[in-house]
This record gives sequence, C-alpha cells and structure tokens, in this order.
Amino acid sequence: MDINLNDLLRKYKSHPYEDHQIKVPHTGTVRLHVKEGQDVTGPSGQWRHRPGTLLYVLEREGNPKRMTSKYTGTVAELRTELEGCFVQAGEPVMVIRHRLNKEEIIDRILREVLYVYAAPQRARYFFTPEVAVAIDKDRAKAFNIRPGDEVLIMSLMKRDSLLAYDGPEGVLYKVYFKHGDLIEQGAPLLGICAPDRLPFVEKVIQRIRTEWDD
Amino acid sequence: MQASQQIYSSPKKTATIFLKNIVKRDKIIIANRGEIAIRIMRACRQLGLDYVVVYTEEDRCSGHVRAATVEKGEDAAFKISNYKDPNEIFSVADHCGATAIHPGYGFFSEDFRFARRATVRNRPISFIGPRWEVIRDLGSKINTKRIAKFLDIPVIPGSDEPIYSEIEAEALAEELFQKQREEGIKRPSILVKASAGGGGMGIEEVTHLDVFRQVYRRIQNYAKRQFGDEGVLIEQCMKDYHHLEVQLLCSRHKEVVHFGTRNCTIQSTGRQKRVEVAPGFDPEYVHYPFDAAKVLDEIVDYSIRLAKEVEYDNVGTWEWIVTRDGKPYLLEVNTRIQVENEISACISRISRQKGPVNLIKEQIRTALGEKLRYSQKHITFEGTSIELRIVAEDVKRGFAPWCGTITRFEFPQEPWLRVYTHVPHDEPYEIPTEYDPNLALAIVWGQDTEEAKIRAKDFLTRTRIEGEDSLGKPIVTNLAYLKQKVDDVLRFL
Repeated sequence: MDINLNDLLRKYKSHPYEDHQIKVPHTGTVRLHVKEGQDVTGPSGQWRHRPGTLLYVLEREGNPKRMTSKYTGTVAELRTELEGCFVQAGEPVMVIRHRLNKEEIIDRILREVLYVYAAPQRARYFFTPEVAVAIDKDRAKAFNIRPGDEVLIMSLMKRDSLLAYDGPEGVLYKVYFKHGDLIEQGAPLLGICAPDRLPFVEKVIQRIRTEWDD
Repeated sequence: MQASQQIYSSPKKTATIFLKNIVKRDKIIIANRGEIAIRIMRACRQLGLDYVVVYTEEDRCSGHVRAATVEKGEDAAFKISNYKDPNEIFSVADHCGATAIHPGYGFFSEDFRFARRATVRNRPISFIGPRWEVIRDLGSKINTKRIAKFLDIPVIPGSDEPIYSEIEAEALAEELFQKQREEGIKRPSILVKASAGGGGMGIEEVTHLDVFRQVYRRIQNYAKRQFGDEGVLIEQCMKDYHHLEVQLLCSRHKEVVHFGTRNCTIQSTGRQKRVEVAPGFDPEYVHYPFDAAKVLDEIVDYSIRLAKEVEYDNVGTWEWIVTRDGKPYLLEVNTRIQVENEISACISRISRQKGPVNLIKEQIRTALGEKLRYSQKHITFEGTSIELRIVAEDVKRGFAPWCGTITRFEFPQEPWLRVYTHVPHDEPYEIPTEYDPNLALAIVWGQDTEEAKIRAKDFLTRTRIEGEDSLGKPIVTNLAYLKQKVDDVLRFL
C-alpha cells in the first residue's frame, strides 16, 4: 500500500481541526458552565487523570454529574436555551473545535498505512477471552494475527458470534475500539501491519514527528 | 411452613388498598419498546389512562414512538440512553408526572431491585407487576425450584443453586449423566444455563462429559458479559417433551384465576419460541398417549398451589414441560406479562365482561389495586388460538438474525386476526442491531384447532415482507418456517 505522505501532511496542515459535537449522554437537567468562544482543555496528566474543563452539569435523579471536556479546543454552537431545562438523551449541547496534535495526526495517517479490519456490522465487539489476556498495552505490538484466527466476538442482537479474521497476516499494531463499545458498520476495529512493512510504518511516524509542529 | 418462610417472604399486611376510581388518575410510563409497548398503549387506552413512552436513538423510527406521538403529541415520547438504565426511566417518570411504570417483558420486568426502587423512593411509583418480594423469590429459578419441592410439585433434576466452581459443576454433570444412563436413556444430555438468564438466552446442551468444561466456560463468560453474574445452572436435558404454560392472574385481594394453558413447544434452535397455541393440549385434535385433560388440570392445580403459597398478586406464567408419558415438571415462573399472553386472552371469555379479554389491561388494573370483579366460574374457553412470531432470521443458518432495511410490510386484515408490529407500513424501516429482529406478532383464532391452523397458514401466505441488507441481498424471514411448523402444533412428533 503506497501513500503520498506529502499530500496527506499538506491536507492536515491546511485544516488541522476536528469538530466534536457534545451531546448529553442521558436525560437530566442541564446547567452550562462555559461560554461561546471559550477555550477549554481536555484531560491531562501522565495518566490523563486530571479532568478537562467543566462544560456542564447534568442532574438526574438528584445526582449531579459534572461533564468535563474530553478535548482541548474552543466552544462553538453553544445552546444557551437549554440552560436549566430537562433534556432527552443525545441532545446536542455544544461543539468543541479541536486542533489535532502530532500524535493524532500520526493516528489518522496510520489508518492509511495499516490494513484496517473494519466492523462487518453495527454491533458490540470484544476480544475473545484468550486474545484479551494475550493483548495488553505493552505486548500488543507483538501479537500476530493470521487469516482464520478467531480474535473477536461480535455481540449482535443479544447473540455472540466469533469473528474469523479475514485480512492479511500481520502484527496487531493498533486497536481502534474499546471493549464492548457499540461500533458502527465499517468503522475500524484493528490496524494490522505486515511484518515486512514495520520499518516503513516506523519511518512514516518518524517523519510526521519531525515535520508536524504542535 | 417454617421451611417455606425461609425461601420466600410474606407480603406486607399493611399494603395499601387502592380504590377502583384511583386507576383513572394514573399515568403510565411504558418502559419498553416495539410491539409490547404498542399493546400496553392499547390497554391504557381501554382503561382511559394517560401514558408516555421512552425510546432510544436506535428506536427513533419504531412504530411505538410514532403511535404515541400521533395520539398524545411530541411530549408523549422521551429519548433515553438505554432501556436498561433505571435512572433514565425514573428521571422521565418524574419529569412527566407518571404514577406507574409498566415494564413490559424483558428489561426491568423481572428485576426485583427496580420494582423495589419504584415503590420505596421519595416519589413512589406503582410497579405494574407483582410485589418486588414475589419477583425476587420466584424470579430465581433456583428458589422457585426449592419452593416447588417444598410443595411436592415436580421439578427437573439438577442444581438448585448457582454454581461458580468448575469442579463442582463437572461433578454434578457427571452425576446427571450417570442418573440418565441408569434410567435407560440412550442419549443422555444436560443443559448448562446462565443462572441470571431468561427468555431462552445463554443455554447450551452438552451430550458428552468431555466437552462439558469448554461449554461451562463459554456460558460462564456469556453470563458475566450479558448479566454481570457468572453463576451457572446445570440440569438434565429433557428431550421428548412439550413446553406448556399456565396463565394465572392474581390480585392484591388474594383472588386467583387462571386463563388456561398454552403450548410453546415450537422453538428455534436457540430455544426462542416461534409458534404458540392455546390451549396447551387438544385431545379432540390429537390423540395423546396419556390423559391430556388430566395433565392440564394437574399443572393448573400445581401452579395455583404455588401462587397461593407465595400470595402472588399479578399476572404470571408457570412454565412446564410434559414428557411423552405425561409427566409434568415445573420449569420456572415468569413474573411478568409474556409475549404470548394474547393467545390465552383470545380463547378466554369472561361471562360478565363485555368485549374480548385483555390480560395487559387486567394486569394494570390489579397492579393498581383493583379487585378482579369476577372469579374462575365466570371464565370460559372457546376455540383455539395460534401465535406466530415473525422474525427477520435465517432458519437455515441456525436462526441467525438478519440486519437490514424493510421496504414493504403488508399483511391481511381479518376479523379472526390481530397483528401487533412496530414496523412502519409506509416508510422504510432499518432493523436496530441492538435488539432482537422481531417484526410482528400475529394472533389467529379458530373455532377449533383445524380452523386455526388453516387461518394461520392463510395469513402467512398473504403476508408480504420485502427489504435488503447493506450488501443489497434480499431480506430473510421465518415466514416459510412458520408455515411449515403450523402443522406440528400440539403433536408429539
């Protein structure tokens, strides 16, 4: 798989932003804590243990939940009319315009370099118990996958089925989903790198690190 | 009696007695989806009760949302994050001033903690179902088994508490295999079940002890993922039997009546019911190698005995298996309205009541404290009713669920037929992948079993379903399977 790294970098440099729509996760009464145009920060610290800027408080059943920003960026499209109102689940509250950083650019570009194994259905995905044990953060890059390997469980319509991997053999380089998350059909699940392409991937990462200025 | 008191608790003697006219002031929040939500809405309408529905993003196009908003306006439907989040249900209930919660089936219908929370919170809400203590005591298959044993009601041999140890499980499995061999059973087998499961999910059959551990671990993992409890039950697998149900209705005034029996033997490979028929046996249609009428009377009597013992106080289903030699075994009690309650209602007549029986309506009335206002002698039965569960599934591939968009869904209109569906008729409908691909329930009535069968087949022949999946392949449904299976109803094959 050949990519034009120059073109990709140029594309991201011309528009290095992603808009994240912030929706309430569940019902409740909203109290806004930010203003239009305000800069906010995402979680920080070595383990991302310090929460980001408080965006709003959602109170349900007498329990206030502080909803903090998961992204660093600027508040836009703030819906001030929702202040103090009971809202239904999924109601959009604001947008945060986030400037992509170096690691995120690497992540986006790697999707073009790696073989991406995508979700065959809109479903919840889990690693099989054996694979889940074998894969942890530190060892993931050493995990080999061959066609026919049953690495994932697809939980669809309350039924679990084993998914046999049908891509090229390679090393599991990136996991794009969280255990048990609902994944849209076609969204990436795994990023696989053929062993002979590992040096190329490392080179791409190195070049982005050198050329991208946060 | 002391032993029984350890197993289940008595109702509070100080329980509030509601008066008949209080019912009209209630507002029901329907904490469910699809066809059951539509049937609850219908019952509310018949009782003159206000209601609201909830729905998730995946269900925004479901017929239950549209029906509620068309009848009651936009404020009658609330989007929530998940049907299984109790805070969502209570939050909406408070916001819209609901005074009672109907859980339907599945979700919270048999969750005693939810039922308890509804009734003991700062702003109490009536739970439309039995008392939470009853749900707790009978909701556990194991506890039900213990109570049944205490009352000399026959139950299936196997574990009577959840097993968490693989060694213990294997020892019991070995014992059950040995017992069957001693009884001369040629192909002995056992069932491994998720203890916290229900509705036929999380059950696997084991025919050889050497694969037991593998299945045990699979069910344990499944149970942990789906129900958060890895407890497993093991019991003898009965092979040649019919699956029967007894429909009871009890009130908070210690009244107990039954609405006959149902036969739910025709199930998918995943033990999901597909064709049900009421009554449970029909000796005028099929010859049984045992006295079928006597067996039906027996299971009704046993069910009532257990209901009275625990002071059951709402609708409930007592599930039985009856072997080819006419031996009944109690499986479990479902402390909720069932999908298939309508066929029991369809063949039932209440002599002093106008119009057809609606068990959901009766369920709401009794949960809100009303008396039945009739007794068993006023209930008679007429004809045979068949329920057909229309599902988007591939029966040739192990009943694999089908995902895609339905573009045409048409069925005939007949006086002997009722169809409940949440699938819109006038616009494409994408089946949500979060839930079972159930499309509709058809309830057919006939003067006798033969007529009901002919009408069921006629309905299936005239029903049209079209659609395609994301690859453009045509929809797969179980219509042909249902048509074929209608011939098998009530027979030991």
